[in-house]
Amino acid sequence: MEDGQIIQLYWDRDQRAIPETEGKYGKLLRSISWNLLHSREDAEECVSDTYLRAWEAIPPARPGAFRNWLGRITRNLSLDRWKSLRAEKRGGGAEALLGELEDCLPAPAGRSVEDVELAELLNGFLRGLTREARAMFLRRYWYGESVAEIAGALDCGEGKVKSSLFRSRRALREYLEKEGIAV
Amino acid sequence: MRAERLFRVLGLADPALVEEALETRARRRVEWKRWAALAACLALVLGFGWRVTGGFRGYGSGMSGGGDSGSASGDAPAGSAPMDPGESGGSGGVEDGITFLSYAGPVLPLTTVEDPGGLTAEREITWDFARETNGYKESRQWGAGVTDAYILSNPTEADITVTALYPFAGSFADLAEELPAMKIDGEAVEAVLHAGAYAGGFESTVGAEEPDTMNLMELNSWRGYKALLESGEYQAQALGDGPDLDMPVTVYEFSDFAAPHEQYPAATQTVSFEIDEDATKILTYGFNGCEWDEGFRRYSYFVPDGKRHEPKVKLLIVLGEDVGDYTLQGYQDGGCYPGEEIEGVSCTVTRRTAALDAVLELACRECMEGYDRYGEGWVTEDGPVTFEMYQRAAAELLTQYGLLSGASMDRYADGRLDDMVMETLWQDRVLYLAFPVTAPAGGSVRVECDYWKAPSFDFACSGSEHAGLQGYDLTTRLGSSLDFTRQGAALVNTKNVKITGQDFGFDLETGVTAVELDLEREHYYLEIRPIRE
Repeated sequence: MEDGQIIQLYWDRDQRAIPETEGKYGKLLRSISWNLLHSREDAEECVSDTYLRAWEAIPPARPGAFRNWLGRITRNLSLDRWKSLRAEKRGGGAEALLGELEDCLPAPAGRSVEDVELAELLNGFLRGLTREARAMFLRRYWYGESVAEIAGALDCGEGKVKSSLFRSRRALREYLEKEGIAV
Repeated sequence: MRAERLFRVLGLADPALVEEALETRARRRVEWKRWAALAACLALVLGFGWRVTGGFRGYGSGMSGGGDSGSASGDAPAGSAPMDPGESGGSGGVEDGITFLSYAGPVLPLTTVEDPGGLTAEREITWDFARETNGYKESRQWGAGVTDAYILSNPTEADITVTALYPFAGSFADLAEELPAMKIDGEAVEAVLHAGAYAGGFESTVGAEEPDTMNLMELNSWRGYKALLESGEYQAQALGDGPDLDMPVTVYEFSDFAAPHEQYPAATQTVSFEIDEDATKILTYGFNGCEWDEGFRRYSYFVPDGKRHEPKVKLLIVLGEDVGDYTLQGYQDGGCYPGEEIEGVSCTVTRRTAALDAVLELACRECMEGYDRYGEGWVTEDGPVTFEMYQRAAAELLTQYGLLSGASMDRYADGRLDDMVMETLWQDRVLYLAFPVTAPAGGSVRVECDYWKAPSFDFACSGSEHAGLQGYDLTTRLGSSLDFTRQGAALVNTKNVKITGQDFGFDLETGVTAVELDLEREHYYLEIRPIRE
């Protein structure tokens, strides 16, 4: 079923919207959540919550990039859950991801910007990367994939992925510092 | 919190770019293309007979982390077992239970190094499904406590002392959680740890045009362990001496790094040279990229800036005939693209001769130092995994599957010691705990092995119908020299779980939580699903 048809089911308050979404995007959303939480039950619940949020948001929302829109919800819900579990549970993919993203943080002396402006700056940075480096960066920090998964998906060695991610993180920090942005 | 905000805002990235990331396929091979000499090198070179060449010679391309895949066909080297017909990842083999995507390996039986003489053995294995058996404050059931207990009886008129050997599947990195504790007649005993070599094999990249050996193929069923252990050779190798790497090699060590980091935060140094592939092999440590063409190599590393977590030890290790003149060149970044050469990148290159095992030890220690943030305690001077053991395992990987094997797997064909010593920490193997046991004349002794064991499982995101299940299994006699007269199995703290598959004969509803095992059967399996509160 096309995304537009699924979204129309939400608008029609037709409960088939949920299984249709699950059938088309459930696997991807579980993957994203698992990458952050490394817990099957928590990932399942985050994905279920994603459908609930979608049900609540549509209407009035009519997302243009439905898969991306759902993935963004799952990322945020998973991060929230990771934070709530962090006090009592060790590890999880989010811990490693956030640790790596620390490398990207510019010196805190820059000016503060709204999320939307920061997102535009990030888009500018991402467009400046090679397609391969951009894919590795987003697979890691958007989808939360492991280095091994990225290497497998892109048919290259893990060393190459690590090198690329390292350079991109470093480059992002330089980019944000050059723009005088604080995060 | 700042990283968290960055993570969240990344979620707002242009959907087109986010979509594109899933569609991008990297180039597998690099098209090599010669390009003209461009710039003079800037470097300080020390050592015997080494000089900076005036011109530059290189091959344009992006960094290639892996190199050409070749067409090696042996995807299941000696010591590993191919999957049985009908087996496939994530689908269930009926007789053996589900073939899980992540297989933890079976509980293996106690054995002895020497002939056990007249000893007979009774075994009782218990899985404890209480929560928090792994020491974490998990709110849900995950894994099981295992008590694998033996009564060794001695019907003869003289005491029998043997070296007991308890084998278990795992990795060095898992040991902090899964190291068995041994007891004899209720008293804790010190055991000596021995590590077998990498237990798995290699398989081809999915969708590769030509089959390669780029990926690890971990054992995915007990039959893989059967093939590995049945002959006894694997155990003998684990208990024997490791590979002899006391061979002289030529080492080029790079140090005293300098680069215009402020202008070029990813400034990169390359070293390139001609090579006779038949006479010379190259290993590296601390390098980030390598490229090669017939008779030519170029290696590169990010110039350390003293801030990032980058290996400061940079070694280029020459096995066989030494390489000739080399060329150093600085670049803006790791792409090393033509036209992006920069001034001001320099280093000291020191040439020396050393034994390969000493170089490998250095690499292992450097690797662990780099892992301090994550792997503290994995390898220590006091064990259970010592540097000696770690180095030996890395040497086995190098000699069995790396450049010293004569038929290197594609995964290690680029000679990066970084990859080999790092993967040595994670790769599955069979480990052995050895300790002396004396069974008195006409009497018996109880040996108990207690540990937490992770389950076999399917990843939730796999879409598998088996996601959420946990698998546990055992082998009754595999690899054991003991004469078993009885074996039994039991489950405790079962209120947290529901049995979904098994061939033991447990019945939780009717309270059957202990069963006798048929010694003629080689293998038993149990599959459970945690009960959510």
